Amino acid sequence: MNNTVIARLVDVSKYYGNGAARVKALDRVNLSLCRGDIVVLVGLSGSGKSTLLHLLGCIDKQDEGNIIIDGIDTSSMSLEKLTPLRLHKIGFVFQSFNLIPVLTAYENIELPLLFKGLEKKAISERIDEVLEEVGLQDRKNHYPREMSGGQQQRVAIARALAGKPSIVLADEPTANLDSKTGDGILDILLNLNQQKKSTLVISSHDSVVLDRIKNVVHIHDGKVSVDTEHSPCQTL
Amino acid sequence: MTIIKLINIALRNLFRNSRRTLITVLVSASGFAALAIIAGYMDFTFFGLREMTICEGFTASGGTGHLQIFKQDALQKEERYPLEYGIEANDKLQSTIESAGNISFTIPRVEFNGLISNGEKSISFLGMGVDPVKESKLIQYWNSLDNMSVKVILSDSSYVQLKKTAPNGVLLGEEMAKALNVKSGSGLMLMSTTVDGAVNVVDVTVAGIVRNTIKSISRYYLLTTIKTAQNLMQTDKVSKIVVVLNKTENTDPVRPLLSKRLNGSSAKPLFSVIPWHDLAEYYNSVMDAYRIIFSFSGIIIVVIVFLSCTNTMLMATMERVKEIGTLKAIGISNIWIILMFLFEGFFIGLISVVVGIALKYIFSWIINNSGFMMPPPPGMSFPYRLNIFSAVEFLPWISLLVIVSTTFSGLLTFVKIRKISIVNSLTHV
Repeated sequence: MNNTVIARLVDVSKYYGNGAARVKALDRVNLSLCRGDIVVLVGLSGSGKSTLLHLLGCIDKQDEGNIIIDGIDTSSMSLEKLTPLRLHKIGFVFQSFNLIPVLTAYENIELPLLFKGLEKKAISERIDEVLEEVGLQDRKNHYPREMSGGQQQRVAIARALAGKPSIVLADEPTANLDSKTGDGILDILLNLNQQKKSTLVISSHDSVVLDRIKNVVHIHDGKVSVDTEHSPCQTL
Repeated sequence: MTIIKLINIALRNLFRNSRRTLITVLVSASGFAALAIIAGYMDFTFFGLREMTICEGFTASGGTGHLQIFKQDALQKEERYPLEYGIEANDKLQSTIESAGNISFTIPRVEFNGLISNGEKSISFLGMGVDPVKESKLIQYWNSLDNMSVKVILSDSSYVQLKKTAPNGVLLGEEMAKALNVKSGSGLMLMSTTVDGAVNVVDVTVAGIVRNTIKSISRYYLLTTIKTAQNLMQTDKVSKIVVVLNKTENTDPVRPLLSKRLNGSSAKPLFSVIPWHDLAEYYNSVMDAYRIIFSFSGIIIVVIVFLSCTNTMLMATMERVKEIGTLKAIGISNIWIILMFLFEGFFIGLISVVVGIALKYIFSWIINNSGFMMPPPPGMSFPYRLNIFSAVEFLPWISLLVIVSTTFSGLLTFVKIRKISIVNSLTHV
């Protein structure tokens, strides 16, 4: 862990709906995440943690405030313009895995690497490396339908990490898995984070996750409070 | 690399919902087959009409042959008396024409008009003096056309009859014979103006009654021998020389050669060589009408193929909202995603062409062997057997049309894909 700020949110607010039905999902959030940080977003359902994760992942736009990812101010950029940023700087792990069903495990990991313009040999070496790290070398030619939920999530983690992103965002990564498999997935995420030194942000309800990650960002009615004991980088 | 991967994904996506892909391919392939069969029918119709124009004609002037030779002045000036600008048809001219190559034979013709009378009733006629033997050869040319395997066989018996009744036999149109109340062997009188401006009369015998290709000509139609026509007009000239080539495709290459042989390098050419298509008014107007009908049918079919494929593409987009959102989230731009759908459309088109070619040949074979008779076209007097040509030269264009329409059906997904919200799509079921 070092003090290089990877993601910074300044007075970020997000609203849903219009007029009387307008709801404030995030209320003037200020948050900084440093390289190598592992942070868990905690809050009740509808508190705004998924919204915060989406904004950090540049797949949604804030209504107010600024978001800076790895030195790039994304505030004035459209979602379409943010596509290269997502490709190069951000890795996603989704709750329901979201693998492409017509592609094998190998090809699912390969897809974003191809669009990054890497050489075939470099891609192959990189995929073999991450598949080994998630323990799925023997499953690389299997389609998602031929794998268990835990295996699919491991492929999703491999896909997120293969491109060596600055920040990995995991939205309830263990929610669709049994506790043993979920624990295994968490092990992989934490180990890989330690090795790669990428920033990891997990949103979770899972008590196992909360037990194992010390840096916790609480979200309540769109407002953020942070346990700062482990990282001086988490708040402005 | 990226394109190859997209092609790979597109192909796999096609087989994801194989039943729907199969139905789309069948619709597009049927569209291809329908267009190809229409093209084959069009080819058959145009070929038949073209050769019928050359051999039989759709006017009182008979078959156009492939080329017709006129005196230049006959086309540019008004004649003061009949055959003022006629051609002195002699052996030297004949050999000059035949030395041009690709020429099968020539037919001299005299065009004249006047009155025909049975003694009680006189009616006007449009007459033609012909060489029955050479006109028979033109009929034989039609009968020898090998791509018309199921064509109508024309009979030269009326020319044989005209030759037998020479020198003063006449062939009358059905309607004219009816109007004059005559039959074969009846005696009639032909009246016309001679080249000196005097009126001359010749006694003729009805050699036969002919059924014309076009009914309206039948009332004014009269054929006689060149000798009879020349006797009536007191001349030894002919109106034109019809040139029949070994095949119709040689018309345009032979025309300038023949013109050069006849006129040399003279600044003021004596003869004019006119190709059959410049003389075939009926053929050209029918072609125009058919082209409009066929183009309209083609447009309808292409629109059906396009809409069917668009429907498939839009359904595929709806079904894959979550996938599209995921691709966007991991950093793949809209353009690449749309390209993937375009490839799917392209492959549907490609498979449709292959299946369509098979369907086209199966249906063409069934139609060609069914012996189905088509009713006579407007104004014509005999039915014809339906035949579908292979129309190979049209197939690349039809393939292109089908592939372009199926590929571009993917473009309509563009709006939908752009609109898909990443956040909403990730939780889409």
